[in-house]
Amino acid sequence: MAKWGMVIDLDKCVGCQACTVACWEENNIPHGSAEDQRRRREIHWNKVISVSRGQYPNCNIELIPTPCMHCEQAPCVTVCPAKATYRRDDGIVVQNFRRCIGCRYCMVACPYNARSFNYRDQPEEAYHRLDPPPDRESWDPWPFPHRTRGVVEKCTFCFHRIDRGIKEKKNIGVEVVPACVEVCPSQARTFGDLDNPESQVSQLLKSRTIFRLREELGTKPKVVYLPR
Amino acid sequence: METRYTTIEGKSKGYQILIGFLGAMVGILIISFMVLYFEGQQVWGNSNVIPWGQLITLDIYFIGLSAGAIIISSLCYVFKREEYKPIGRLAVFLGLLLMMGAMLSVLMDLGRPEKFWRLFMYFYLNNMTSLFAVNGIFYTGYILLMLVYLWLILENRMAQAAIVGTVDVLWAIAVHMGTGAIFGLIGNREILFSPIKPFEFLAAALSSGTALIILALAVTYTFTRRKIEPALIVSLGKLLSMIIVVLSVMVFVDKATHMYFPNREGTVYLFTGNYWWLFWVFQIGMGILIPLALLVYPRTGRTVRGVVLASLFVVLGVLGERAALVIPGTAHPQPIYPGHIEGIWGAPGIFFITPWETLLTLGVVSFVGLFFVLGLKYLEILPEQG
Repeated sequence: MAKWGMVIDLDKCVGCQACTVACWEENNIPHGSAEDQRRRREIHWNKVISVSRGQYPNCNIELIPTPCMHCEQAPCVTVCPAKATYRRDDGIVVQNFRRCIGCRYCMVACPYNARSFNYRDQPEEAYHRLDPPPDRESWDPWPFPHRTRGVVEKCTFCFHRIDRGIKEKKNIGVEVVPACVEVCPSQARTFGDLDNPESQVSQLLKSRTIFRLREELGTKPKVVYLPR
Repeated sequence: METRYTTIEGKSKGYQILIGFLGAMVGILIISFMVLYFEGQQVWGNSNVIPWGQLITLDIYFIGLSAGAIIISSLCYVFKREEYKPIGRLAVFLGLLLMMGAMLSVLMDLGRPEKFWRLFMYFYLNNMTSLFAVNGIFYTGYILLMLVYLWLILENRMAQAAIVGTVDVLWAIAVHMGTGAIFGLIGNREILFSPIKPFEFLAAALSSGTALIILALAVTYTFTRRKIEPALIVSLGKLLSMIIVVLSVMVFVDKATHMYFPNREGTVYLFTGNYWWLFWVFQIGMGILIPLALLVYPRTGRTVRGVVLASLFVVLGVLGERAALVIPGTAHPQPIYPGHIEGIWGAPGIFFITPWETLLTLGVVSFVGLFFVLGLKYLEILPEQG
């Protein structure tokens, strides 16, 4: 069984947020209202944070894209009382909306702020994209689920793409990648099987110094960064 | 001397007005719940940054009060101290009602209470590594034990009540330590993470529980024109002062441990951030310093009025203590990456006080109050003449 992971090269990231927008489109994430923004209730599966060090003129800004880390020792999986968040055999941590009881314990326990709560039922128009892909009819229901209020959601590594790719015997990591990886204009993101020494991600991990976010917590994230 | 218990008449105008008011507040509880149910939690003040708000604060506060009340009841039914007889039934009855209030508030907090049954599918559909699920066992058992305990003492079956009481007291300790562990084991949030948190919760439960019993005793005795025994109140006051000292040691050790090592950003935020007043004014001022001063100073500590006032401060202070855990505990931005995180991702969260959430909270408090007042009329809770 493969172990899916992502490598993000911070040297290449330009902070354009294309990954964030692609994620919204791919996963039909409601865009939220101005009020949601003000109250910090907008739904984010992927975000690019900017971190500054020092003061002008001796300063430095780093851009860190942060999807869900799909931790091997995921605190959200440990604390979820309803088995709504669980780790699949391929290592992807997913959220089952039907099981989620809305206690939000996972949001408190997530060290990466990767989770968002649905504070309301979204209006129909908040979901519908202007440019549905041509093959939308043939897709599974997943990429366009209508969430209900009262459930938590987060990045899924676009598992619907991976599952479909495996069914169609495609090369995952090369032909089939998550939406954020596909759109990245500077190819900062790479996706693939961490267990396969031949995969591009494994090769990248061997090529440079690497780090993970908040490694000291021992969550073993499967999103790995290559520093600038 | 045999203590005989009785019901109150409940025919006075004041009683009827109180029932009417609390009933109206329970009506408001139902309305605010319907608003929540159909509109979603957008009508509340929490956010993706501060996921838990007023209802969770009230939930852990009520669980603490309940555990404290049950532990105090053991003075009467387990340790057989005659002088505490007048508070025995009151403490057990309040313990039961407060726990039911706590369960009601957590149910409301879910927003979709029809889904909560999954929590109780032990080892089958739920995840027993979650402290919520573990506490589900504690809470269910606790309510059942309290029902049996109350029934036994109302039936005057003291030998059996002593056995059930002992189990219930041990269970109450587990209940509240388990509740503390919900927060204390969250390793990624500095303000919450602490191995001492379950013990701190227990000390806070005892102090708020004792204070509530003193307050309930003073209020019910005054309104039912019973004579308050000053010696009883003063001795409970002494007990309260000792518990507050234990609590303050717990709080000091917890915060000092976090402050000692340079990695202290979260604790500094708690002390000086936008919710500094929850910690300094409520938790430290009203929960520890003012009541301790009132209880230790002989001119107030040995009078009923002084002890009751100190208890009022403790009850409010511990509520603030719970809020100082739930709200700043998550409002502090997590250090995802070393350096200063710019924009909203690095800004501390802000909790909004909204009308529907506040009404719901007050409604849950009134629900407990209503059943307490009704209980005094239909159950033999109070001694015949104090």
